[in-house]
Amino acid sequence: MSTVTTRADSTVVRPWQQLVIIWALLLTVPFWLPLLGGYTAIAGRVLVMALAAMGLNLLLGYTGVLSFGHAAYFGLGAYGAGLTLKYVAASTPLAILAGTLLGGIAGTLFGLLLVRRRGVYFAMVTIAFGQVCFYIAYKWDDFTGGYDGLRGFVRAPLDFGLFKLDIAGNGTLFYYFVLFVFGIAVGLQALILKSPFGRTMLAIRENERRARFLGLPVEKHIWLSFSISCFFTALAGTLYALLNNFADPLGLNYVMSGNIVMIAVMGGMRTFWGPLVGAVLFVMLQDYVSSMTTNWMFFVGTTFVLVVLLFPRGLMGLLQRKGAGS
Amino acid sequence: MLQLVLFNLTNGLIVGTFYVLMALGLSLIINLSNVVNFAHGNFLAIGGYLAFVLTPFIGFWGALLVSPFLTAILGFVIEKVLIRHVYTRNHIYSLLLTFGLGFILQDICRYIWGPSPLPLNIPQSMSAAVTPDLFFITWYRVFMVAVVIVAVAGLFALLRYTRVGMRIRAGTLDLETVSALGVNVPALRSLNFAVGSFLAGLAGVLAAGQLGLNPNMGDDLIMPSFIAIIVGGVGSLTGTLLGGLLIGVAAALTTVFYPSASEAVIYVIMAVVLLVRPRGLLGEEGMLS
Amino acid sequence: MSVDSPKLEARAVGKNFGSLRAVSGVSMTVAHGELRAIIGPNGAGKTTFFNLITGFFPPSSGDILLDGRNINRVPAAQRVKMGMGRTFQITEIFPELTVWENARIAVETGLGFSLRAWLSANEKRQVAEAVDEVLTMANLTAQADRLVGELSHGDQRAAEIAMALALKPSLLLLDEPTAGMGDEETYKVTGLIRRLHRDSKYTIVLIEHDMRVVFHLADRISVLAEGKLLAEGTPDEISKDVHVQNAYLGKAE
Repeated sequence: MSTVTTRADSTVVRPWQQLVIIWALLLTVPFWLPLLGGYTAIAGRVLVMALAAMGLNLLLGYTGVLSFGHAAYFGLGAYGAGLTLKYVAASTPLAILAGTLLGGIAGTLFGLLLVRRRGVYFAMVTIAFGQVCFYIAYKWDDFTGGYDGLRGFVRAPLDFGLFKLDIAGNGTLFYYFVLFVFGIAVGLQALILKSPFGRTMLAIRENERRARFLGLPVEKHIWLSFSISCFFTALAGTLYALLNNFADPLGLNYVMSGNIVMIAVMGGMRTFWGPLVGAVLFVMLQDYVSSMTTNWMFFVGTTFVLVVLLFPRGLMGLLQRKGAGS
Repeated sequence: MLQLVLFNLTNGLIVGTFYVLMALGLSLIINLSNVVNFAHGNFLAIGGYLAFVLTPFIGFWGALLVSPFLTAILGFVIEKVLIRHVYTRNHIYSLLLTFGLGFILQDICRYIWGPSPLPLNIPQSMSAAVTPDLFFITWYRVFMVAVVIVAVAGLFALLRYTRVGMRIRAGTLDLETVSALGVNVPALRSLNFAVGSFLAGLAGVLAAGQLGLNPNMGDDLIMPSFIAIIVGGVGSLTGTLLGGLLIGVAAALTTVFYPSASEAVIYVIMAVVLLVRPRGLLGEEGMLS
Repeated sequence: MSVDSPKLEARAVGKNFGSLRAVSGVSMTVAHGELRAIIGPNGAGKTTFFNLITGFFPPSSGDILLDGRNINRVPAAQRVKMGMGRTFQITEIFPELTVWENARIAVETGLGFSLRAWLSANEKRQVAEAVDEVLTMANLTAQADRLVGELSHGDQRAAEIAMALALKPSLLLLDEPTAGMGDEETYKVTGLIRRLHRDSKYTIVLIEHDMRVVFHLADRISVLAEGKLLAEGTPDEISKDVHVQNAYLGKAE
């Protein structure tokens, strides 16, 4: 009885089986993906988007609070990493650290202004904050590259003194590097969710009024949850910049926020691994759409509408035993 | 200098009136149905394009009258077919749904009318300046402000004096009681959505006359409308009105003195309001907060 | 905490919502270890009075004292820490978590662990023991691994009471604990409240519509009508009070 057993976790496949399957697949990507006609960089993109959405999902799926502005923290992470590489030092770990701190701290500060809002108003304010960051990146040309995005930086090889890992030149090696970071982040998330603090997040999601009458300072917990969530999404953003050697102002836009939310929902926001599954679907969809020259918006829009109306619980939600969730 | 200030002030007022029309429609829908309609800007575009189609047949004046009604009907139908499914669900679904809907509507406009900008012809007499000294104040601009004033007054009168309006207001305060009193809430929500779409459509026709048409013409207006609502205070239409005008004028005045911050200033205003008065200018505070 | 002062005291407490006077000038003194029932017709202001006591909103007039200390301006969460446990008319639980998890969240919050990222083995044992204890008290041990949302109405209520107990309250406030229940469930919940009162010596204030429950449980009864205190006394006195009979007991709802 030492784990959080919510109905959402009781899928057809047992949690430890899920864990084995997922990690076996992720670790062997460079071997089987080319056979399916994919390339390893796309798997990196899946991991990055999954991490961004899993970060958001701490808030969305586990605390029950809706942010529609997480692109801001994702984008700040990307710009933080890019600017560090470009102007400060050619160090990948430093870039990751700086970007994560930039996005995470920004989220923590914005969160202070947010915690008293609820429901759609919370969402609206998060959207607006997101746009603030978008405008800054967009307008501050000479520093951020403005509309064209931030270029002119490359991820640096990892130097361990005794040996070097060339994640800059070797795509497969970089994939494993991303997977390594992803693994640590996801492990941390699991620890948080199984902690007493993590349980208070569930409590707030399940019944805010009850949580309050247990004496929980609900606002403080939502703020912390928001902050933690932003740190993870910012971390994903740093990896995104490293992946592309590019930071894109559109990565800060609310359209991106919508995409991150969609990834969580499509995969199943009431499940731990849902956002990863969502990221696989989403990146595949994105890849397909990028080959369309016209009417891609119609296609994407229709997908959104259909998912909301027909599969609101996402793919992992469908796998759960019947009658579960809401 | 005075000319410049006046010019920008006028611009700000006009932009502000667009924000007001957009934000009032959004606010109506949020208050009664708890749905943030991301596609609201696309309803605006559709209102403009419909006027473009109608003008050759019934002229600008006819289009100005008819197009908002058609937009309202479209809103009514879309509410019935799509939006009503998500009322009982988590807010996330209504956001994603209208987000997707916005994409669809925008692409439909692009498919039918093409991606390049189109002009909406307004009567010749309207493009003339009111006085030669203030060349930028055309009759059309005066007219726009007048229409918006009439529309806003009409909206408030509708809400205050008609049965439907009173029900919408009552539903905003306490939906359960209204429902218990036998009011058909689903119908009320459809109607309310239609009224919101009407305002977007009207804003679309007016905007098209001034700025022309393009498929994403609503995109630039949606974010300021959100901010107008947040600044004005949740649940208060008067607050939304005030918020829209405030940010419109503030943005315009910033253009005079510090052009590069003109877009940032509305976000600064929002942040200040959230910091100093989290409920917004005229918003109501919940019991627990 | 002074032993001399009553557990809970309301002094001429009033609450207005705009022009509506939901509660006006209600005074009430609840002694340590007492079980007080508040009855009254619908709209009498009972739940509003409860909300005032538990800090849902501040009173418009008058004072509320807990153990002799004025708590008018103390926020709800703080009152919980001062020993007020509450259940609601509509059961407030965490429906998609198990009974054990529900109790555990309450216990961990009560022990001040709610911001912790991990617990020592010792602390985990402390939590587990406390959870088992409240579940035993609420008679829910057999259902520990079931989702609360799946339990019967009566057991959900018991789970809610268990969560309140997990915070080690000195005063339990129960808003219509048997509302909407059939005879058998009412009997179960009544038994639970009786045990908490007689055996565990909790001070309890409850709002109740079911007169059988009220007369069976209460040490004293307060009758509210139209926001005012109409009468107060032992069950015997109340059942004989003419005003009460006219205003309330006489008229079937």
